[in-house]
Amino acid sequence: MFSRRTRFVLAALFVTSLTFVILDLRGGQGPFTSFRSAMSGAVGGGEQVGSAVFSPFVGVRDWWGSWGDQRERIAALTAENDSLRLLVERSAADRARSEQLDGLLRVSGVGRYEIVPAEVIAVGPAQEFAWTVTIDAGNADGIQRDMSVINGDGLVGRVQSVTRNTATVVLLVDASISVGARVAGSSEIGILSGTGRQDSLEFQMIDPGAGLEPGQALVTFGSKGGRPYSPGIPIGEVVSVAGTAGQLTRIATIRPFADVSTLNIVGIVIRPPRQDPRDSVLPDAPRTPTVPSIILPSATPLATASATPTPSPTPSAAVEPSGSPAPSQEVERAATPEPAPGGGT
Amino acid sequence: MWGRQTLLCATLVFAALVTQQSFLARLGIPGATPDLILVTVITLAFAYGPLAGAVVGFGAGMALDFAPSTAGPIGLAALIFMVMGFVSGAAIDPRDRNPPVLIGIIALNCGAFVIAFAAINSLLGDERVDWEQAPSLVLTATLYGALLALAVVPVVSILVGKITPEASP
Repeated sequence: MFSRRTRFVLAALFVTSLTFVILDLRGGQGPFTSFRSAMSGAVGGGEQVGSAVFSPFVGVRDWWGSWGDQRERIAALTAENDSLRLLVERSAADRARSEQLDGLLRVSGVGRYEIVPAEVIAVGPAQEFAWTVTIDAGNADGIQRDMSVINGDGLVGRVQSVTRNTATVVLLVDASISVGARVAGSSEIGILSGTGRQDSLEFQMIDPGAGLEPGQALVTFGSKGGRPYSPGIPIGEVVSVAGTAGQLTRIATIRPFADVSTLNIVGIVIRPPRQDPRDSVLPDAPRTPTVPSIILPSATPLATASATPTPSPTPSAAVEPSGSPAPSQEVERAATPEPAPGGGT
Repeated sequence: MWGRQTLLCATLVFAALVTQQSFLARLGIPGATPDLILVTVITLAFAYGPLAGAVVGFGAGMALDFAPSTAGPIGLAALIFMVMGFVSGAAIDPRDRNPPVLIGIIALNCGAFVIAFAAINSLLGDERVDWEQAPSLVLTATLYGALLALAVVPVVSILVGKITPEASP
């Protein structure tokens, strides 16, 4: 039926392929080892090129198969990314807060001030020429009018008005403020007043004949009963002195230690130390390490401080608005949880 | 004519081999790998007749057997491809080419290759042949063969008509 040539070729091919099969099945180092490796090289080279060409399309099936998954994954990863980014940003903010709290603890510990930490939650508008901030602690936390406000660097200002959960602090640089100050290392005193500019204060000495040098530091002289200003709080250092010794008035320009433009964590001195700490709170003064007596208004120190209905400590009941119980309770007692009645038996 | 025909067949078979091994096999589609080489061989057999089909099938099978990542004994795919190329070329009268019939024959060949390969390989003592998979493999191989034929038959027919016009009826 087929031509003789066709039959011959078919038979030859048949025999050849069968021979190959049988020889290959003998195993071991067959006669085709080198030939196969050469062929593998040729075909494999083509396959490498083909693989490179086709590789973008090989993933197509996965892409189709997981189309729905991908969108869910993208959504989930985006959400996770957002929360992680928030966490990173918050952790930087938290670190800054903790550094400020550390400074506050140092000041309050060295000077033995009892403070309530608070966070600045609002700043008064600068165009009203008043330097005030609002903090998140009020008379529920023991804050009252005319208490000193400090941070880790020194005096910040004093409490101007108090609500239940917030207080307004007028800052040191406000033009209306004046503080009795003492030159560190001496007993020269004077009146420090704000100028309305955030980096300079004016200091007028009582004794115009006393010497005053740039670089000297000022601390608060202290008011009666520690209010509005507790004694010994660092204020700033002398930048320049106008007028010479013996003139009728000598006015020095003071740069405050506390940068009022970056306030975040402040502490309100709710009770001044029994003894004037003198110059020990200044950063370069020799200081004796003491246990800081910081009072946490609640379990979380800052933002939620005013939310807990702790009984308000009222050292002087006359200032306190009506309706707050436990008039004679100590501040420390208010912070420590009472043991449960009958729990010990 | 012979030179151009040989060159065209060799080029097509090599392209089919590379495409199958580095693209179709890696797509990971379920069931059998689409057997582009066999489809090409059968299509060439339709165009050039049983003898050329047998020779092309033998060459393509040898290339597949010698290529990396093939498992069977050398010569087995060549034997099957050769027989299939010859039978397919003989079954079709070149003057009476009906596309559904061509595609059907190609698909049948693809399915039959699975059975033939498994049968001969297990006769030769290869224990890897798993007959439980055979039905699904045969089905998918037939289906993929038909799908590939839809694309390959027109392309190869055009190429054959352009490069070796004296072969077309």
